[in-house]
Amino acid sequence: MEFTIKQCVAWGGGLITAQDWQAYAQGEKKFNDSNELPPLKQVPAMQRRRLSPFAKLALHCALTAADECLTTVPSVFASRHGDLAKTSKLISDVAAQELLSPTQFGLSVHNAVGGLFSIYTGNKAPLTAISAGEDTFFVAILDALAKLKANNYQQILLVYTETLVPQMYQQYIAQDEVSIACALLLESTELESAKLEPAELDSVEQALTSELYPDTYSLKIQPNSGQQRLENSQMQVLDFLKFYYNSSEAASISSKRHLWQLNKNVSTS
Amino acid sequence: MNNLSVEVKQLIIDTLDLEDIEPADIDYEDALFVDGLGLDSIDALELGVAIKKAFDVKIDNNSDDSKKHFYSVKTLCEFIAQSRS
Repeated sequence: MEFTIKQCVAWGGGLITAQDWQAYAQGEKKFNDSNELPPLKQVPAMQRRRLSPFAKLALHCALTAADECLTTVPSVFASRHGDLAKTSKLISDVAAQELLSPTQFGLSVHNAVGGLFSIYTGNKAPLTAISAGEDTFFVAILDALAKLKANNYQQILLVYTETLVPQMYQQYIAQDEVSIACALLLESTELESAKLEPAELDSVEQALTSELYPDTYSLKIQPNSGQQRLENSQMQVLDFLKFYYNSSEAASISSKRHLWQLNKNVSTS
Repeated sequence: MNNLSVEVKQLIIDTLDLEDIEPADIDYEDALFVDGLGLDSIDALELGVAIKKAFDVKIDNNSDDSKKHFYSVKTLCEFIAQSRS
């Protein structure tokens, strides 16, 4: 299925602007260990005080990418580990037979950040929260595309977030982890073309056509029949950001289970 | 203003992550919830747990009495003092 990427906003490792990510994709800037968090000044202080670093990263990217459709856009929130710092604190409290914090409990569930987004924007559109191992980022795109198609949505917001896994779980981590959030506003290409009859299309100016038809992308998934026994050391979100900001035409990324093929179809009309 | 009230105010600030607020900013008799300080129902639960832990008092969830006890710093202090005696 083809789609366009209307907005791409990412924050992590000291890389904040589109220029930063371009420089990263071209190898001019590196991911550093900066823990700088988005200020999120638009969120009132009484709401902001409960936001963990995980929630701040996610909400900044979500609110920026979906700025023009905040109250209506359906969304997919994705994270492999979720806000695990909160969860592991709760588990430690259970082990120590302490009373649990209701706030921490409420905000530790996997759809908590989606809920915060919905409360803050008043957006009541369908929202899902997914987790799919090392494939979480691409599965999230797949899920978003399936929803676009099945529901005839014009656009959908994808928000992917990851923060470093707490020390007690580090022994189980095989990937090079970074704290990062990335939000994409994806649009369907099918609705646009359905609106115009072929006859009408001919009469549309070339220039206008290319505006109507920005670069489209496609994502293909195949089982990985190879013998890859280890997880890919690089997180898929970084593979994607390099592909996107390098204006690459194709990228294939393998994981233990899948082969993902990303293609950019340069606009021809 | 006694030591207990300062303790309660500090507990409120620490428990509810009230950034940029000092104990002196919280009025002794003003409402803590909605109109006054602007705390909400999640804060009420959180504060209940924190007070149970800090002062070892029993709080009856959802009773009219506990609503009265949680009205202000003053009512909270009176409730804690009374439960301890």
